[in-house]
Amino acid sequence: MQAFQQFQHDMAQHLRDPHHTRRPAGVPRRRMAVYNELLFNNICGFVDSCFPVSRQLLGEARWRRLCRTFYRDWPLHTPWFREIPRELVRYLSEDRIAQPLPRWLPDLARYEWAELAVDVMAVNVSAHDAQGDMMQRPVLLNPARMDVTSPWPVHRIGLQWQPRQPQPTFLVVFRDAQLDVQFSEINAVTARVLALLETGLTGQQALAQLAQDMAHPDPPALQSFGEQLLISLREQGVLLGTLK
Amino acid sequence: MALTPLNRAGLGFRRELIPALQQGVPPEIGFFEIAPENWAGMGGRSARTLRAFTERFPFVCHGLSLSLGGAGPLNEDLVRRTRDFMREHGMGLFTEHLSWCADDSHLYDLLPIPMTEEAVRWTAERIARVQDILGMRIGVENASTYIAPPGAEMTEPEFVRAVVEQADCLLHLDVNNIYVNSRNFGFDPHAYLYQLPLARTCYVHVAGHFVEDDGLVIDTHGSEVIDPVWQLLQAVYLQIGHVVPTCLERDFNIPDLHTLAQEVAHIAHLQREATAVAQRRAA
Repeated sequence: MQAFQQFQHDMAQHLRDPHHTRRPAGVPRRRMAVYNELLFNNICGFVDSCFPVSRQLLGEARWRRLCRTFYRDWPLHTPWFREIPRELVRYLSEDRIAQPLPRWLPDLARYEWAELAVDVMAVNVSAHDAQGDMMQRPVLLNPARMDVTSPWPVHRIGLQWQPRQPQPTFLVVFRDAQLDVQFSEINAVTARVLALLETGLTGQQALAQLAQDMAHPDPPALQSFGEQLLISLREQGVLLGTLK
Repeated sequence: MALTPLNRAGLGFRRELIPALQQGVPPEIGFFEIAPENWAGMGGRSARTLRAFTERFPFVCHGLSLSLGGAGPLNEDLVRRTRDFMREHGMGLFTEHLSWCADDSHLYDLLPIPMTEEAVRWTAERIARVQDILGMRIGVENASTYIAPPGAEMTEPEFVRAVVEQADCLLHLDVNNIYVNSRNFGFDPHAYLYQLPLARTCYVHVAGHFVEDDGLVIDTHGSEVIDPVWQLLQAVYLQIGHVVPTCLERDFNIPDLHTLAQEVAHIAHLQREATAVAQRRAA
């Protein structure tokens, strides 16, 4: 390490953990305080706006403490500011945080982040036929989409209600043709159909596979129910049509 | 895409201003500036909105995350993606800060580089590499700082000059940063200005700042530009002898577009004035 980098190292350590590290040599207290405040406020600014519900439910003091340990402990390799909230979600999911947090918080944060992520997601939409026969042709899922699968009903969590018991929840967060972000709650069967379609199956193939998985007593009935389901998902914008 | 000349006054492009800008861009605004870290690689409404503006107006690309003076490897992927982003939107000028913001992990703000010979070489090499990847010279901006890192082997203007000369890059001059530092470290901003390699100036920033109760000046970009900063800008134009594209930065307490346009108009006014002086001198 070159001499000037020793200073940078000391300064970085102190900025990440001002309460447990020494101020870099030669830096006045008042001036260092300016940097500590500026940098911590800055990182809080990037995450606060993405997680309004999580922040409100934790309360300001606990939320700030979480932001502090995030900035201190989590390696932030991304130069893209919009990815800082994603890093907080990953930090929460690693489950190595000493601070006691609600069990559903990592999932709630992931759900809140999904809105931002889908809003700005850069996607290539494959050539497709919006009116194609989804039973006969491989189906194109909306690529501007995140499937949020959680043991908690994260979309219902708020100040008025927080879950005590897990309740498996399947949500699709997607960008519609008007570029607005939409949320759709689906059930386990629909989630399974989407997963099968994503592997490149036709609607018919996916539903046949599903009937087999479920040992369904009446596969033709499942096919006709399934076709309606696909049409409804296409109307919502979760599916875009058939691949060309 | 043809690059429109930038020799005018511009404004930092911010999401908060978009609804007003969509109603009409004031004629005073000759170009916009954006940070690739905020806009590159996005899809959806953001991308569509930006495209609608870059098709009609020139844009300057002003980076925040490259950490030119930082330890750890240069993020060449960021440079390449910035290059692609600039091509996509027809941008012909890239500038970054003479500062650091990361070691192997980002701190997301601009920090002062110790002004040593080693740091000059280190930073200049990284700038040169960025220029190689981008295939153009870049502008490097003098930073605002609140501390003077210990062990300095030269003054700040000497440091700036050494870096830009070794890297053979251009100078992005921030006159508000000079003013902020002059207040916080007690020097004459005009004397400082004339020590900089002004002939290499490719781009200028002006902004407002905040004065704390104890007199410390914080570079917030959160208020209007004050007269001493306008005077510095005037001095820059007169010294350089030709007009340099100049951007008003406003990042906090953002007023309405009309108010900002008046400040941009003042930049344009100073540019016209300086041009007239230069013509009289030449005559």
